[in-house]
Formats: sequence, C-alpha cells, structure tokens
Amino acid sequence: MADESNTSKGRVLVAMSGGVDSSAAAGLLIDQGYEVIGMTMQVWDYSSCDIEEGHGTCCSSTDVDDARAVADKLGFPFYVANCEAKFQAYVIDPFVDAYMQGQTPSPCVNCNTYLKFDHLIRKMKELDCDYLATGHYAQVVQKDNGESVIVTSTDDWKDQTYFLFTMDPEVVPKILFPVGQMKKEDVRQYAEDRGLINARKKDSTGICFVGQQGHGSFIEDRIAPDLLQEGHIRLYPSGEVMGRHKGIHRFTRGQRKGLGMDYHRTLFVIKVDAATNTVWVGDEEHLFSDKMEIAKTNWLGSVEDGEELRVKIRFHHQGAKARIRHKRESDGALSGAVIEFDEPQRAITPGQAAVVYRGNELVGGGWICP
Amino acid sequence: MQNRPPEIAHSENEFETLASGTLAPNSQLLSKTKKVYMDHNATTPIASFLVDFCQKWLTHWGNPSSIHWAGREPKALMRESRKKIAKFLGVQPLELVFTSGGSEANNLALLGFYQGLLSLEKEGREHPLSGRRRFVTTKVEHPSVMKSMQHLEQLGVDVQYVTVNRDGVLDLKQFRELVNEETALVSVMMANNETGAVFPLKEMTEYAHSVGALVHTDAVQGLGKMDFNLKELDVDMASLSAHKFYSLRGAGALYVKKEVPLSPLIHGGAQERSRRAGTENVMAIAAFAEMTRFKGQIKSRSLKMAGLREHLMKRMASEIDGLVFNGLGHECLPNTLSVSIEGVDGESLLISLDLKGFAVSTGAACSSGSPEPSPTLLAMGLSREEAQSSLRISLGWETSQEQVDAFVDTLVSVVARLRSLAEDRDVG
Repeated sequence: MADESNTSKGRVLVAMSGGVDSSAAAGLLIDQGYEVIGMTMQVWDYSSCDIEEGHGTCCSSTDVDDARAVADKLGFPFYVANCEAKFQAYVIDPFVDAYMQGQTPSPCVNCNTYLKFDHLIRKMKELDCDYLATGHYAQVVQKDNGESVIVTSTDDWKDQTYFLFTMDPEVVPKILFPVGQMKKEDVRQYAEDRGLINARKKDSTGICFVGQQGHGSFIEDRIAPDLLQEGHIRLYPSGEVMGRHKGIHRFTRGQRKGLGMDYHRTLFVIKVDAATNTVWVGDEEHLFSDKMEIAKTNWLGSVEDGEELRVKIRFHHQGAKARIRHKRESDGALSGAVIEFDEPQRAITPGQAAVVYRGNELVGGGWICP
Repeated sequence: MQNRPPEIAHSENEFETLASGTLAPNSQLLSKTKKVYMDHNATTPIASFLVDFCQKWLTHWGNPSSIHWAGREPKALMRESRKKIAKFLGVQPLELVFTSGGSEANNLALLGFYQGLLSLEKEGREHPLSGRRRFVTTKVEHPSVMKSMQHLEQLGVDVQYVTVNRDGVLDLKQFRELVNEETALVSVMMANNETGAVFPLKEMTEYAHSVGALVHTDAVQGLGKMDFNLKELDVDMASLSAHKFYSLRGAGALYVKKEVPLSPLIHGGAQERSRRAGTENVMAIAAFAEMTRFKGQIKSRSLKMAGLREHLMKRMASEIDGLVFNGLGHECLPNTLSVSIEGVDGESLLISLDLKGFAVSTGAACSSGSPEPSPTLLAMGLSREEAQSSLRISLGWETSQEQVDAFVDTLVSVVARLRSLAEDRDVG
C-alpha cells in the first residue's frame, strides 16, 4: 500500500450526514494523514414521512447511501449508528413540547448537544479514536495559553458556531472541523476534484425531520387532538379580540404571514401565551426589546459579570452588543443570565438560543426565556 | 457438441472456501487487518471448487425451457441437480420447487399454501383441511415467516404464536393447546438463526399430524450443520437456502409433499411444474447440488464445529465476566453461540471487532445498516439493553482453533476497553 509508510496523525471518527461538507471533511482528513472511520447517525425513519429524499435533509436513507458511497470512494470504513430512540427523546419530543408551550425551538442545537457531541463522542472513545470530526463551518484554534477554543468559520455566511454553544469545553480539543477554514464554494470544488458524488448536492435547509407539510402539521400528527385548542387572537395592548386561531403551535414571535386576518395595518405576532392559549398581535414597534433572560446557560470560557460581548439571538442574526449579567444560585453557582442590549432587538423569541461571542470566539450561551 | 455436464475433478477431502477479498482497496484501516469470518448464519463463503464448476457452466448459458440445442444441457443439469438435492434431503425430485432463496421459499410455503387451500375450496373440491383457518408458528421465526404470517392475518387467517422462555425453550404445552382441529398449518423453524436453538421438530410434527394439521419448517439454518432427512422428520414442507451451504446466493428450494395444496406466488411460466414461474437460476441451483456430495461429511464437520464452539464458550466464560449465553435450553446448532455481554454496547463492540478484522453479528440490521436489537432475543424476554449488548458468533466448516483463539483474545481486550469507558462515564 502506498500509504503504509505514512505515520498516522491519529484516528478520527467523522460524523457524516451524506452532505458535501462532512464528505469533504473526511477527504481532507485523509489528505492530512489521519485514519478515518465514517459514521452516519440513523435518527429518523424516513419511510414514514413525506420528505423527498436527498433534497435538503440530513441523514435520510439516500443520504446514508451517499455517505457510504463517499466512504467507498475514499476507502475508509463506514458504519451507521442507530440513534432513533435518542433522537426522539432529545430532539423530537422537546421540539413538540416547545411549540406547545408557545416557544420556537432550535432542534439543531439539541441534536448537536445530545447526539453529535455526546453519542458520537462516546462512539469516538469506544472505537479508540483520537478525534471526532464534523462538517460544521466552525474552527477550533489553540490560544497562546494552550487552551482550545471554537471560533467562527472563515465563511461568515455559513458559520454554524451558533449551534455549538452547548459544547462541553473539555471536549473541544478532541474536535476537528476540517471545512471551517474554507468557503462553501471551495468545499464543493474540493469534493468535485475528489470525485465525490455529492459535490453539487443541494444544501440542507430547514429542519431535517419536518417535511414539506411544515412544522404545524408535524406537531398536529404527534399531539393528542384535545391538546390542540383553539383560542383568541388579541390586539396588543388593547386586548381587542381580532379572531381565532387553531392552536398556538402555528405562531412565532415576529410572524407576519398566516395570521388569517384582514386589518388596515400590518400586524405581527407580539407574544404567544400558552397559559391563556392566546396569540397577541400588534404593531412592529412592540417587537423591540433591549433586555432578555436566558436559562440553562453553558460557558465554554469565563465571562465577567457585566462584560460587553456580542450576542446572537437567532441563527441568521448578525449579533448585537450586550452586557451579560450572571444570575447565581444561593450557593453561588451560575444559573442563567440577564442580557442587556445596547440597542433594542427585534423579535427576541423564547425557545431560541442566545449565543455569546467575544470577537469571533464562541464563549457560550443559553436558552431565551419567555 | 458436448452433451454431458463438464467433469470437475474433485476429492471429498478437498473442501476449501474462497478467501475473502479486500473490501475497500484503499482503506488503511481495513487492509492492515487479517480477516476472520464468524458469521456463517448470515451467509457462508463459496466452496472454491465451485469456481471451476461455475466457470465451465458459464459457457452453457441456454434456457432450460428451450426446445433447441442451447437448452438441452442446462435442462439436463437442472434434472441432475434436482435429483442430487432430493437424494440429499431424502425426498422425491418432483417434490422440490426451486426458488430465489430461503425467504421466497418461506413466502411460498405460507402464502402459496393458503392460496392453494382457498382455490380448492372455491372449486368445491374436497380436502381434509377445508375450512381450517388457523396457522400456528413461534415468536422467534425468521422475518420472512413473521411478515408472511402478519400478511396472512390481514387476509383473515387466525395466526397463533408459541412463546419461548428466557432459555429459548418453546412452550410445548401452549403449542398443544394452540394446535387443534381448526389448524391448517404449523410452521416451526428447524433451528433458530440467532441463538442456534434446535426445536423438537419431530415431536411437534407428530402432534400436529395427530390433529390433521400440516407442518412447514424453515430448515435454512439446519443445512450443513445437521444431517437431517425430511422424510424421516415427516414434515410436509421445508425451506432451504443454498448460500448458507457454501454455494451461490440466489437459489433456494421449497420441499412440498405431493398432496399439499400450493398456488404459485410468481405467475407467468410453466417452470417448476407451474409452481414458480421464471427462468431458473441454473448455475446457483447446480452449485447447490454439487455441495450435496459433502453429505457424508456433515456429521464430522459438525462435530469439529461443536468442539470449537465448546472451546470458544469455555474461554469466553473464563476470561470475561458478566456473560449470559442465550438460548441454551434446547439442543443447539454446533456452530452458533449467542451471548449477552453485560455493560457493553453491541454496536460499538461489533464495529471494534470489524475494525480488527472479525466478522460477527448483533441482531438484525435495518435497511440503512444500523443494528436493531434481535427480535428473537426480545421474544425470549431479554431487555432491550440486554439484546443490544448481544453478539452472535457462528462458525463454519473451515473455522480453525487459531481463529477462535484470536477472536477471544481480541474480544477480551475490546470488552475490557468498552467497560472501562462505561465506568468512566458512570463515575463522571
């Protein structure tokens, strides 16, 4: 074998979705002299839903075939891990629950927290691997003090560090993001040069397990009908009843379309109140707020109380300057935080992640409270 | 024109299987490993003498149904093969229906029999089974039997399932209660593919016959591991698969006693006396027939496998704690060992062993290739976790003690590592 003399830089478990990014990641690692094992998580029984396979989803069965074809092409062992039960418990169930509580969940974070960077970290150790690699657009860099930190990817538009804020800092030195220093177009070009079948495959968009039906029907299919109650749509702040809705799970703060009412001004969803089953609508000005509370915080590095940092309140948010005020338990342990923005922010949405950066370094985050 | 099948020089002591090739030619990880195959219940390597045999027959490509010269030799080969296999099983040549394999044979036995029975009733012809609507099977059958039974349930058949206990022992008392004058067919596997448990087929057949029910057996796992005679067992139908017997994939057979009603599942040709349409897979059937020459060796080879299995079990039991061997309540196939390994995830164990070159299995794989817990082990009452920490090791005619020892050495180290990680997790 030509490569026998090449001393391996270590063994890497590569999480492969079947998309171009993780496939290119595997190829790049082989080029760099790592021993690669590919693994796809079987998270969802795609035979039971209407998702058109191979079109903008993660890990459907044709995606598994694509990942396997890439492994065969590049010549490394490939396996499928059965994660359906874990995915159901940690991603699907909380997703449905959040909507039922009037929130707008961010399931990709949970998938990273409980599957990629927990289940696959475990697999990494069990399979005697030194590293876990994914196709995320993010970078791990070592600071002068030797500490490994996550920083945003070179391709700003593709940066996916938002989904990584729950990462255990101890795990960071074990993570490789081989495409994090590349532009998407270069990743595709690399995949094409390597002859990978998914080089020009469409990017995954949206939530992988929700089909063309949209999240509303997805939730309705999974909830007892008596839990889906009709309720009032009221004008904020007067309380005037504007109409009725067929379940709060179809509404999210800032939403303009699909309110089903005719009014002389454009109205937005201001608040979704699960307790009274009410959807509040109103003028856009009511969507702005300069303060929010976050819970279940995770910090990858230390953050001083009152420090001014950059906070993203949704994936496609460029980030805004804000001060972090830690909240503490009676024993002094950190427990959530209050975020004070310099400028009011539009549609701070409960259930979404608030992710905190120092420059381009990911320092942590938490979940936006109602 | 040559009119005789090509002669292949062979000796009965010459059995040897094809060494497996390298799967992924560039793989650094896989190419370094020595390969040991211990998954013979999934499929067996092909006997190397069949390579010459098949190569010669590749030039005799005619359709056996043709009237002209091209069909003559294949037809003769089919006839000879049918005879050889029939003799091997102790049945009449015309009692065999060749299929694509074991799953088709099981489907044909169950669905074809039911349709056959219905046709007789429709035509108003007297049959002792007329009006009987109960099928009895077990909870640990192969999926091709299970799914066929579920399909029959949808068609209105009253299907009853005999349970097994933690040791894989069938509840024969329950069996006798369920099999009654309403029962048309009993389907019980000869030996279980997961645990190797050999069921008391003869005893069960006698009982079923005493109330007038017919008996089908899925004999796929018995082939090459047990020296059985279908006439002596007195079953009415039996399914067989060639690739579990060191021959090619794509051929199987259903033995059907002459008087058993059977409608075809595949229509459109008079092959197999109109019981299975489609041009025959001549070469795979002929290769299967060639293997029958080893009948005289099955006993001795089984004894050898049983000795290795015993050795494997003893070494495992003495070198690894927290093992439970599954399905030992019945007599067991000489080659099969199912074991639950406490505190170890079967998926990671299987992959770790594969990376070191050892091919074994855990339960069943879903369509994407990810392991699911074995339905057989779940039916025996193992928890999902226990079933998921299980391994099936199935030896073959050529497995050596050296291989078994290498396997145990590797297993000991992999299990120790996986357990130490699990402890770290629990402490952390």
